[in-house]
Amino acid sequence: MSLSSSLRHSNSEALSLSQQSTQYLQKHTSTGTSTIPIAFISYPESTELWLMYEKLLLSCLRTGDDKAAHLCIEKLIDRFGATNERVMGLRGLYQEAVAKDDAALGRILHEYDEVLAEDPVNTPVAKRRIALLQSLSRTTDAIDALTELLESSPTDIEAWTELSDLYLSQSLFPQAIFCLEEVLLVVPSAWNIHARLGEVLYVSATSGNESADGKTLAEAMRRFCRSIELCDDYLRGYYGLKMTTDRLLSAFPDNSKAAGQIMSTDNGELPMPSTATVRRLNEKATSKLAEITRRTTDRGYNYAEVVAAKELLDKSTQTKQR
Amino acid sequence: MPSYLSRPLTVLGLLFLSHACYSAYEHSTLLTPSPQSSTIASTSTSSPPTASLPLDISLETIISVIMICVGLVVGAEELKPIMWRVWAGKVERESGGGGPFQGLEDRLGFVDIRAKRKEFADWVRDQDNDKK
Repeated sequence: MSLSSSLRHSNSEALSLSQQSTQYLQKHTSTGTSTIPIAFISYPESTELWLMYEKLLLSCLRTGDDKAAHLCIEKLIDRFGATNERVMGLRGLYQEAVAKDDAALGRILHEYDEVLAEDPVNTPVAKRRIALLQSLSRTTDAIDALTELLESSPTDIEAWTELSDLYLSQSLFPQAIFCLEEVLLVVPSAWNIHARLGEVLYVSATSGNESADGKTLAEAMRRFCRSIELCDDYLRGYYGLKMTTDRLLSAFPDNSKAAGQIMSTDNGELPMPSTATVRRLNEKATSKLAEITRRTTDRGYNYAEVVAAKELLDKSTQTKQR
Repeated sequence: MPSYLSRPLTVLGLLFLSHACYSAYEHSTLLTPSPQSSTIASTSTSSPPTASLPLDISLETIISVIMICVGLVVGAEELKPIMWRVWAGKVERESGGGGPFQGLEDRLGFVDIRAKRKEFADWVRDQDNDKK
C-alpha cells in the first residue's frame, strides 16, 4: 500500500538534526563527565536530555556521522553504565552501523547470543538481534526469535507489529492479521493500527486468486471505518475505504439480498454489508478525499499522501466516465 | 462576544462590586443608632434595627457578579478538544502524520540501521546529482 510510511523523519530532517549535534554536544559537555557537583546544579538532569541523546545517536548513525554518534554513546555509557539493558541495545546499534563487512556483523550476532545466554530477558538486545537477523535476510530465524520473545512478553506491542510485518514479507497473511489484532487488544484506540490492519486485510483479499474474497474485503472496510471513527479527516483511512469499497462494488455489483442471507449464519460472523451501504460509504470517502485534496496547503497533511489520494480520485473518475 | 472585551468587563464588574460593598457598609453605619439616640431608641423599640438593604444595592451586587463571571469566561483560553476523534485528527495533522501511536510503525527497537544508512547515502547522492 502506498500510504504506509515507514519513516517519520525525512532524510533532510535527519540531516539537519545531525548537523546540530556537534553544537549540542559541546553545549552539554559538562553533564555527566564532570565530577564537580556544581555541574549538576547548573544543568538539571532530565529525562528529555537522555532521550535527546538517543535521538541524536540515531540520526547521527543514519547520516554517517560516526564520530558524533560515538560521543553520544560514550555519554550514555558514562551515565547509565555499560550493563544497562537499553544502553547495551544502543551500543549494539552503533556497532552494527559501523561494521565493515558481514564477518563483523556475524561477530556482533555472536555477541548478542552470548548476552542473551546470560540474561534471556534482555529485551533491547533481543530486539537488536532480531533486527540484525532480518537485516541479514534471515527472516525465518528472525520470526522464530520474535515468537520466542513474545512468549515471554506477550504485551510487547512493538514486537507484535514487527512480527506482523515479518509475516507480511513472507506473504503469510492470516498470521500477520492475527498479530495486528493482538496489538489492537492492547491499544484498541490506535487509529493507525486499525488502518494498517485494513491495509493488510485488503492486500490479503486481493493478492490471492483473481476473485477477491468478499468477507475479507468487508472486514477491511470495517477496519478503515473504525480508523476514521477514531480520527477526524484521516486521509489514510479514507484512502483505504475508497479502495476497498471500489473493489467491493466492482466484485459484487449486486449482492444486496443473497449474500446477506448466506452470511448471517449463527457462527458469530457479521453479515456482509448491503450494496447500498457500500455505495454510500464509497460516495462519502470520495467526497471527503476530494475535500482534503482541495484544501491541502493550509493543513498539515503529508504531501506525498495527498498526491496519491489525488491520483486515486482521478483514476476512479476516469473509469466511471468510460 | 469578542475576547478583548473580557478584561474591561471584569475590571468594571470589580469596580461595581466594590462600590456595592461600600454602599452596603455606609448604609449599615447610617442605620446604627448614635449613642445619644440609643436611649430614645431603646425605649421606643425593644428589638435592634434590622432594616434590609435597599433594592439598588442588591441589584448592583448581583449585576456586578454576573459581569465578572461573564468577563472571566469570555477571556478563557480556547478549549481543548475532549472528543477522541477530534483530538486525534488535530494531533495527526499538527505532527504531519505522527500521533502517539506512530512509534508502533517506526519501531525504533527494531530499526535496521544499515538499510537506513544506505537509504540516506543514496538520497545524498541523488541530491548532488540534482544540483549538477
